[in-house]
Amino acid sequence: MNKRRILVLVLTVLALSVAAVFPALAAEKYPSKPIELIVPYSAGGSTDVLARAIAKVAPKYFDVPLVVVNKAGGGAIPGRDYVVQSKPDGYILLFGYGSGEDLVVPHERPLPFDTFKDLLPVCRISQHSVVLAVPADSQFKTLKDLVTWAKSRPHVTAAVSTKGAAVDIAFQLFAKEAGFKLTSIPMSGGSDAVTALTGHQVDFGGGHPSEVLPHIKADRLRPLAVALAERDPAVDVPTFKEQGYDVVTAGSVKGIAVPKGTPRAIIDYLADKFHQITRDPEFISMMKDLGQPILYMGPDEYAGFLKKGFDQYGNLLKELKIETK
Amino acid sequence: MFDFHGLFTGFDIAFSLVNLLYAFIGALVGTAIGVLPGLGPAATIALLLPVSYKIGSPVTSIIMMAGVYYGAMYGGSTTSILLNIPGEAASVVTCMDGYQMAKKGRAGAALGIAAIGSFVAGTIGILGLTFIAPPLAEIAIRFGPPEYFALTVLGLLMATYLGGGSAIKGLIMVVVGLLMGMIGLDPISGAVRFTFGNVNLQGGIDFVTVAMGMFGVGEILYNLEKTEGVQLVTDKVKNLWPTLADFVRSRWAIVRGSVIGFLVGILPGGGAVLSSLLSYATEKKVSKHPEEFGQGAIEGVAGPESANNAAASSSFIPLLTLGIPSNASIAMIFAALLIQGVTPGPFLLKEHPDVFWGVIASMYIGNAMLLVLNLPLVGVWAQLLRVPYAYLAPIIALFTLIGVYSVNNSAFDIWLLIVTGILGYLARKLNFETGPLLLAFVLGPILERALRQSLLISAGSPAIFFARPISGAMMAAAVLFILGNLWASWKKSRESKVQPASVS
Repeated sequence: MNKRRILVLVLTVLALSVAAVFPALAAEKYPSKPIELIVPYSAGGSTDVLARAIAKVAPKYFDVPLVVVNKAGGGAIPGRDYVVQSKPDGYILLFGYGSGEDLVVPHERPLPFDTFKDLLPVCRISQHSVVLAVPADSQFKTLKDLVTWAKSRPHVTAAVSTKGAAVDIAFQLFAKEAGFKLTSIPMSGGSDAVTALTGHQVDFGGGHPSEVLPHIKADRLRPLAVALAERDPAVDVPTFKEQGYDVVTAGSVKGIAVPKGTPRAIIDYLADKFHQITRDPEFISMMKDLGQPILYMGPDEYAGFLKKGFDQYGNLLKELKIETK
Repeated sequence: MFDFHGLFTGFDIAFSLVNLLYAFIGALVGTAIGVLPGLGPAATIALLLPVSYKIGSPVTSIIMMAGVYYGAMYGGSTTSILLNIPGEAASVVTCMDGYQMAKKGRAGAALGIAAIGSFVAGTIGILGLTFIAPPLAEIAIRFGPPEYFALTVLGLLMATYLGGGSAIKGLIMVVVGLLMGMIGLDPISGAVRFTFGNVNLQGGIDFVTVAMGMFGVGEILYNLEKTEGVQLVTDKVKNLWPTLADFVRSRWAIVRGSVIGFLVGILPGGGAVLSSLLSYATEKKVSKHPEEFGQGAIEGVAGPESANNAAASSSFIPLLTLGIPSNASIAMIFAALLIQGVTPGPFLLKEHPDVFWGVIASMYIGNAMLLVLNLPLVGVWAQLLRVPYAYLAPIIALFTLIGVYSVNNSAFDIWLLIVTGILGYLARKLNFETGPLLLAFVLGPILERALRQSLLISAGSPAIFFARPISGAMMAAAVLFILGNLWASWKKSRESKVQPASVS
């Protein structure tokens, strides 16, 4: 009895994992089989959660299931490469297109593909801005307080997710604009960086809204500025620009892409469906809980936006002399 | 004053028929994936996520997912003991003595003590979670890079006790482990190291792959040398239950394992793997008969298996009280809750007391269910040893391959598994122990990152390791540890010198 139960379970788990890997064979009309959202990051991160939120409301708009597949590891490059190498038939989508690996990393080291030539943008869903924060019991009530203090110190530390990524670049730019010397401490990822800040390991820190918002609500962190041109709808904090520092970056952009060669009709079909999802009340309320703003952009507009972000990061890296070697 | 009302409400919720059912399903699925090598709780919880939307209630779905997570810790020991193949990353260390026990026909005792130790430790962990979670969580986030550095220094010192054979071979394995741990992006500068231009290696190698390869595939390859028809482990499976003497020997190992597991589990970035390794090293150090370790010492099973269960329970503390997920499985549960509109963290208790207390109460019940589920299975599993290896081996190999693939859905990991499997086979053949390699592989990267982060924070001054209370205390312990050993070996060498002198 027990043996048999276990066997059934084993077979079920096996079948599930196999089903996730080999979707049913193709038919004529698109879409006629499950669509895979390839998330090149591990399960539970902010990009993954966003993909899963979309997959949750997707049945209202798609006749076929959207399946989230994590292909993590390798600095999120192999997951992208997998999409680049797959058939351009609209059944394999890259989720998280526009993140640091697309806008920043190509400036830092060679990749096995060209993120702009081998992938075609479908749409933008969200943009994760960079929020600067300090512990709630910190002596710094405003950005000015922090700058005044930092200028008088030889050694100022900030916790960042990884070296030369969106958060690090924004903070380095801020330090340069404000005129103090910053030592950024790369932690192992955004959530670790925020943990280090809440534990008072560094002078300041921060991250994307989804990472800092729960701690701001809990009165553990105090946000001082956001590195966008306009305020982020997700966090109630003035921009750097409003406070006199020219720190505006693209942050980490969360969009969707398909392999080069995908028919335009499929891209338009997908873009339209995702646009509908971004206006779904259930999705809107979920995104509010997740601390991720909905900032939809169609294929062409998004392509232009990405190119601009890519060039801007290239200039910043040169200007700030950030090297990852 | 402790909120007994909240806890009782929690039991009210957890005892509802639906929640009991899902706690049972979670525990059952968890045990199953724990038994299957490679297939881990994080991947399983991800697969169950769509099911959790169907369930609708956040309490019920988190009860199920939590069951999968701690259930996996129960099941993980099974294949470690029977086949020398870790079912779960956290059960790697259980192979060392568990398998030796099985070879001596004591598989039942090993499985039994693992289940009982898991139950005791799981319950101790939940008691801690119930009564002292918030203050502990506050201390845990004070645990910064210098504290991690000090902890890993202590851990590596303990690692010297892990091996039993040749010291030089052990050191070689430590160095290989450290080198393997360095593959990937430099944790501070982001430079690419030891990848030989392969992008798949940029993120480093996953512990699951190395553990499954070195132990699992290596073991299968090694057994292929034996001629067909030979019984795998042993055909005599005598007394299915641990004896009274076993309990007496294991009781303190279980308690120590529980405490180590509980403390390591709370740390952000800590976890079950580290806790089980530390527990094993501790048991060997305090044991009156350390020479039995590696030959089938029951404490070497009881301690680590207790530790990984206590860690599984206590890793819910930073999640529920601070909203900080401390490992991949907990991160998955975190994501599931977020999508259902429940934000884990300081407000959970105020906004969703039903979730907070419901989950905690369900863990008591789930643990009891697991004990009831696992003890009768001991007999069933022990029968597994009667299956001819010619049938068993390919099935295990297949599950290991699927399991490793499921971690990152990466075909490259399968190649890596095969390569580490060959390495494991060679190590086995040439009498190199795999334990030190795995410990170095786990601790090396933490040590490097923590050291460099600490020195960046302190602008290069090593005083940071001694000035802070927690890291200072641990560094002092490390120094005492070294001095104590020097003293012991000095005394020993003097005695051996004195004795011949008195003869002459």
